[in-house]
Amino acid sequence: MMAKNSKTTKLERQIDENLRRVYSDLSDEPLPDRFVKLLDELRKQENSKSDTQSGEES
Amino acid sequence: MKTTRDPKEELVEHLPAMRAFAMSLTRNNAAADDLVQDAIVKAWSNFDKFKPGTNLRAWLFTILRNTYYSLYRKRKREVEDPDGIMAGKLSEKPAHDGHLAMADFRTAFAQLTDEQREVLILVGAEGFSYEDAAEMCGCAIGTIKSRTNRARTRLAELMHLDDDDDLEITDAATLAVVIGKPAA
Repeated sequence: MMAKNSKTTKLERQIDENLRRVYSDLSDEPLPDRFVKLLDELRKQENSKSDTQSGEES
Repeated sequence: MKTTRDPKEELVEHLPAMRAFAMSLTRNNAAADDLVQDAIVKAWSNFDKFKPGTNLRAWLFTILRNTYYSLYRKRKREVEDPDGIMAGKLSEKPAHDGHLAMADFRTAFAQLTDEQREVLILVGAEGFSYEDAAEMCGCAIGTIKSRTNRARTRLAELMHLDDDDDLEITDAATLAVVIGKPAA
Protein backbone atom coordinates (compact mmCIF):
# COMPACT_ATOMS: atom_id res chain seq x y z
CA MET A 1 0.00 0.00 0.00
CA MET A 2 2.74 2.42 0.98
CA ALA A 3 4.71 1.64 -2.14
CA LYS A 4 1.69 2.21 -4.34
CA ASN A 5 0.99 5.51 -2.62
CA SER A 6 4.51 6.75 -3.14
CA LYS A 7 4.38 5.86 -6.83
CA THR A 8 1.02 7.57 -7.19
CA THR A 9 2.50 10.60 -5.53
CA LYS A 10 5.44 10.54 -7.92
CA LEU A 11 3.05 10.34 -10.84
CA GLU A 12 0.97 13.15 -9.36
CA ARG A 13 4.07 15.25 -8.94
CA GLN A 14 5.02 14.68 -12.56
CA ILE A 15 1.55 15.55 -13.76
CA ASP A 16 1.41 18.72 -11.69
CA GLU A 17 4.87 19.70 -12.86
CA ASN A 18 3.76 19.41 -16.47
CA LEU A 19 0.53 21.21 -15.72
CA ARG A 20 2.41 24.11 -14.24
CA ARG A 21 4.72 24.21 -17.24
CA VAL A 22 1.85 24.27 -19.74
CA TYR A 23 0.02 26.80 -17.61
CA SER A 24 2.97 29.13 -17.20
CA ASP A 25 3.63 28.95 -20.95
CA LEU A 26 0.06 30.10 -21.45
CA SER A 27 0.26 32.91 -18.92
CA ASP A 28 3.59 34.10 -20.31
CA GLU A 29 1.98 35.02 -23.61
CA PRO A 30 1.86 38.77 -24.20
CA LEU A 31 -1.43 40.39 -23.27
CA PRO A 32 -3.38 41.59 -26.31
CA ASP A 33 -4.00 45.34 -26.57
CA ARG A 34 -7.74 44.83 -26.47
CA PHE A 35 -7.64 44.28 -22.71
CA VAL A 36 -5.69 47.44 -21.98
CA LYS A 37 -8.13 49.34 -24.19
CA LEU A 38 -11.08 47.69 -22.49
CA LEU A 39 -9.86 48.71 -19.05
CA ASP A 40 -9.30 52.29 -20.28
CA GLU A 41 -12.81 52.28 -21.69
CA LEU A 42 -14.34 51.01 -18.45
CA ARG A 43 -12.47 53.65 -16.48
CA LYS A 44 -13.62 56.40 -18.84
CA GLN A 45 -17.24 55.29 -18.54
CA GLU A 46 -16.91 55.33 -14.80
CA ASN A 47 -15.43 58.82 -14.76
CA SER A 48 -18.08 60.23 -17.07
CA LYS A 49 -20.75 58.63 -14.88
CA SER A 50 -19.46 60.44 -11.80
CA ASP A 51 -19.15 63.64 -13.87
CA THR A 52 -22.81 63.60 -14.86
CA GLN A 53 -23.74 63.05 -11.26
CA SER A 54 -22.00 66.22 -10.11
CA GLY A 55 -23.28 68.46 -12.88
CA GLU A 56 -25.89 68.35 -15.66
CA GLU A 57 -24.44 68.57 -19.16
CA SER A 58 -25.72 71.36 -21.40
CA MET B 1 -0.58 40.89 5.83
CA LYS B 2 -2.03 42.04 2.57
CA THR B 3 -2.73 45.67 2.03
CA THR B 4 -6.17 46.31 0.62
CA ARG B 5 -5.54 47.63 -2.83
CA ASP B 6 -8.16 48.84 -5.22
CA PRO B 7 -9.20 45.62 -7.01
CA LYS B 8 -9.72 47.65 -10.16
CA GLU B 9 -6.03 48.54 -10.12
CA GLU B 10 -5.03 45.01 -9.28
CA LEU B 11 -7.19 43.41 -11.99
CA VAL B 12 -4.59 43.86 -14.73
CA GLU B 13 -2.08 41.73 -12.82
CA HIS B 14 -4.45 38.79 -12.95
CA LEU B 15 -5.20 39.04 -16.65
CA PRO B 16 -2.41 36.71 -17.83
CA ALA B 17 -3.63 34.02 -15.42
CA MET B 18 -7.24 34.61 -16.43
CA ARG B 19 -6.25 34.15 -20.06
CA ALA B 20 -4.36 30.96 -19.28
CA PHE B 21 -7.37 29.63 -17.40
CA ALA B 22 -9.69 30.68 -20.22
CA MET B 23 -7.49 28.96 -22.79
CA SER B 24 -7.46 25.81 -20.71
CA LEU B 25 -11.25 25.85 -20.66
CA THR B 26 -11.99 26.85 -24.25
CA ARG B 27 -8.88 25.34 -25.90
CA ASN B 28 -9.25 28.10 -28.44
CA ASN B 29 -7.40 31.42 -28.38
CA ALA B 30 -10.12 33.58 -29.90
CA ALA B 31 -12.83 32.17 -27.67
CA ALA B 32 -10.53 32.50 -24.66
CA ASP B 33 -10.01 36.21 -25.30
CA ASP B 34 -13.74 36.79 -25.74
CA LEU B 35 -14.34 34.93 -22.51
CA VAL B 36 -11.76 37.02 -20.64
CA GLN B 37 -13.29 40.19 -22.05
CA ASP B 38 -16.78 39.16 -20.86
CA ALA B 39 -15.38 38.24 -17.45
CA ILE B 40 -13.61 41.61 -17.10
CA VAL B 41 -16.81 43.52 -17.92
CA LYS B 42 -18.79 41.37 -15.49
CA ALA B 43 -16.17 41.77 -12.76
CA TRP B 44 -16.06 45.51 -13.29
CA SER B 45 -19.78 45.94 -12.73
CA ASN B 46 -19.66 43.71 -9.65
CA PHE B 47 -16.63 45.09 -7.85
CA ASP B 48 -18.91 46.52 -5.16
CA LYS B 49 -19.64 42.88 -4.22
CA PHE B 50 -15.97 41.97 -3.87
CA LYS B 51 -14.91 41.72 -0.24
CA PRO B 52 -11.63 43.63 0.18
CA GLY B 53 -8.87 41.48 1.63
CA THR B 54 -10.23 38.24 0.15
CA ASN B 55 -8.60 36.43 -2.74
CA LEU B 56 -9.15 38.56 -5.83
CA ARG B 57 -7.80 35.93 -8.20
CA ALA B 58 -10.22 33.34 -6.85
CA TRP B 59 -13.05 35.83 -7.23
CA LEU B 60 -12.07 36.64 -10.83
CA PHE B 61 -11.63 32.97 -11.71
CA THR B 62 -15.09 32.25 -10.33
CA ILE B 63 -16.61 34.90 -12.57
CA LEU B 64 -14.68 33.58 -15.54
CA ARG B 65 -15.71 29.97 -15.06
CA ASN B 66 -19.35 30.91 -14.44
CA THR B 67 -19.32 32.92 -17.65
CA TYR B 68 -17.82 29.99 -19.47
CA TYR B 69 -20.41 27.52 -18.25
CA SER B 70 -23.37 29.82 -18.75
CA LEU B 71 -22.43 31.16 -22.18
CA TYR B 72 -19.57 29.44 -23.91
CA ARG B 73 -20.03 25.77 -23.30
CA LYS B 74 -23.50 25.56 -24.76
CA ARG B 75 -22.56 27.92 -27.56
CA LYS B 76 -19.70 25.72 -28.64
CA ARG B 77 -21.13 22.20 -28.69
CA GLU B 78 -17.73 20.69 -28.96
CA VAL B 79 -16.92 17.03 -29.12
CA GLU B 80 -15.93 15.84 -25.70
CA ASP B 81 -14.24 12.53 -25.36
CA PRO B 82 -15.29 11.05 -22.02
CA ASP B 83 -15.16 7.50 -23.33
CA GLY B 84 -11.72 7.78 -24.80
CA ILE B 85 -12.75 7.32 -28.43
CA MET B 86 -10.40 9.98 -29.69
CA ALA B 87 -7.85 8.88 -27.15
CA GLY B 88 -7.25 5.81 -29.32
CA LYS B 89 -5.18 8.04 -31.57
CA LEU B 90 -2.71 8.45 -28.76
CA SER B 91 -2.13 4.77 -28.22
CA GLU B 92 0.71 4.44 -30.68
CA LYS B 93 3.62 4.39 -28.32
CA PRO B 94 4.42 5.66 -24.86
CA ALA B 95 7.10 8.26 -24.25
CA HIS B 96 10.36 6.45 -23.67
CA ASP B 97 12.52 9.16 -22.28
CA GLY B 98 11.40 8.74 -18.69
CA HIS B 99 9.41 11.94 -18.47
CA LEU B 100 6.19 13.14 -19.97
CA ALA B 101 6.58 14.48 -23.48
CA MET B 102 5.08 17.97 -23.60
CA ALA B 103 3.16 17.58 -26.86
CA ASP B 104 1.62 14.33 -25.65
CA PHE B 105 0.75 15.97 -22.39
CA ARG B 106 -1.06 18.86 -24.10
CA THR B 107 -2.95 16.46 -26.34
CA ALA B 108 -3.99 14.35 -23.39
CA PHE B 109 -4.97 17.40 -21.36
CA ALA B 110 -7.18 18.68 -24.18
CA GLN B 111 -9.10 15.41 -24.12
CA LEU B 112 -10.19 15.75 -20.53
CA THR B 113 -13.67 17.02 -19.73
CA ASP B 114 -14.22 20.69 -18.89
CA GLU B 115 -14.54 19.87 -15.20
CA GLN B 116 -11.36 17.81 -15.21
CA ARG B 117 -9.31 20.47 -16.97
CA GLU B 118 -10.70 23.10 -14.68
CA VAL B 119 -9.89 21.28 -11.47
CA LEU B 120 -6.37 20.41 -12.62
CA ILE B 121 -5.65 24.04 -13.41
CA LEU B 122 -7.13 25.31 -10.17
CA VAL B 123 -5.59 22.74 -7.87
CA GLY B 124 -2.59 21.42 -9.80
CA ALA B 125 -1.34 24.50 -11.63
CA GLU B 126 -2.66 27.50 -9.68
CA GLY B 127 -2.26 25.74 -6.35
CA PHE B 128 -5.64 26.72 -4.92
CA SER B 129 -6.64 24.69 -1.87
CA TYR B 130 -9.40 22.09 -2.24
CA GLU B 131 -11.53 24.39 -0.09
CA ASP B 132 -11.01 27.38 -2.36
CA ALA B 133 -11.55 25.31 -5.50
CA ALA B 134 -14.76 23.87 -4.04
CA GLU B 135 -16.05 27.33 -3.31
CA MET B 136 -15.10 28.56 -6.77
CA CYS B 137 -16.80 25.64 -8.47
CA GLY B 138 -19.80 25.69 -6.17
CA CYS B 139 -19.43 22.08 -5.09
CA ALA B 140 -18.34 20.01 -2.10
CA ILE B 141 -14.68 19.62 -1.14
CA GLY B 142 -15.02 15.84 -1.54
CA THR B 143 -16.23 16.36 -5.10
CA ILE B 144 -13.17 18.47 -5.90
CA LYS B 145 -10.86 15.87 -4.38
CA SER B 146 -12.33 12.94 -6.27
CA ARG B 147 -12.57 14.98 -9.47
CA THR B 148 -8.88 15.89 -9.15
CA ASN B 149 -7.94 12.26 -8.61
CA ARG B 150 -10.02 11.10 -11.54
CA ALA B 151 -8.55 13.79 -13.77
CA ARG B 152 -4.98 12.80 -12.84
CA THR B 153 -5.78 9.13 -13.38
CA ARG B 154 -7.34 9.90 -16.76
CA LEU B 155 -4.31 11.95 -17.79
CA ALA B 156 -2.04 9.11 -16.74
CA GLU B 157 -4.11 6.66 -18.79
CA LEU B 158 -4.00 8.89 -21.84
CA MET B 159 -0.26 9.22 -21.38
CA HIS B 160 0.12 5.48 -20.84
CA LEU B 161 1.48 6.01 -17.39
CA ASP B 162 0.36 3.38 -14.96
CA ASP B 163 0.56 4.32 -11.30
CA ASP B 164 1.46 0.72 -10.52
CA ASP B 165 4.49 0.90 -12.77
CA ASP B 166 7.60 2.91 -12.58
CA LEU B 167 8.34 4.68 -15.83
CA GLU B 168 11.52 2.64 -16.14
CA ILE B 169 9.53 -0.58 -15.80
CA THR B 170 7.17 0.61 -18.52
CA ASP B 171 10.22 1.16 -20.70
CA ALA B 172 11.49 -2.32 -20.03
CA ALA B 173 8.09 -3.81 -20.79
CA THR B 174 7.88 -1.88 -24.05
CA LEU B 175 11.38 -2.94 -24.99
CA ALA B 176 10.44 -6.55 -24.34
CA VAL B 177 7.48 -6.20 -26.68
CA VAL B 178 9.69 -4.65 -29.35
CA ILE B 179 12.26 -7.44 -29.25
CA GLY B 180 9.45 -9.95 -29.21
CA LYS B 181 9.91 -11.37 -25.76
CA PRO B 182 7.12 -11.51 -23.20
CA ALA B 183 7.30 -8.62 -20.76
CA ALA B 184 6.96 -10.76 -17.65
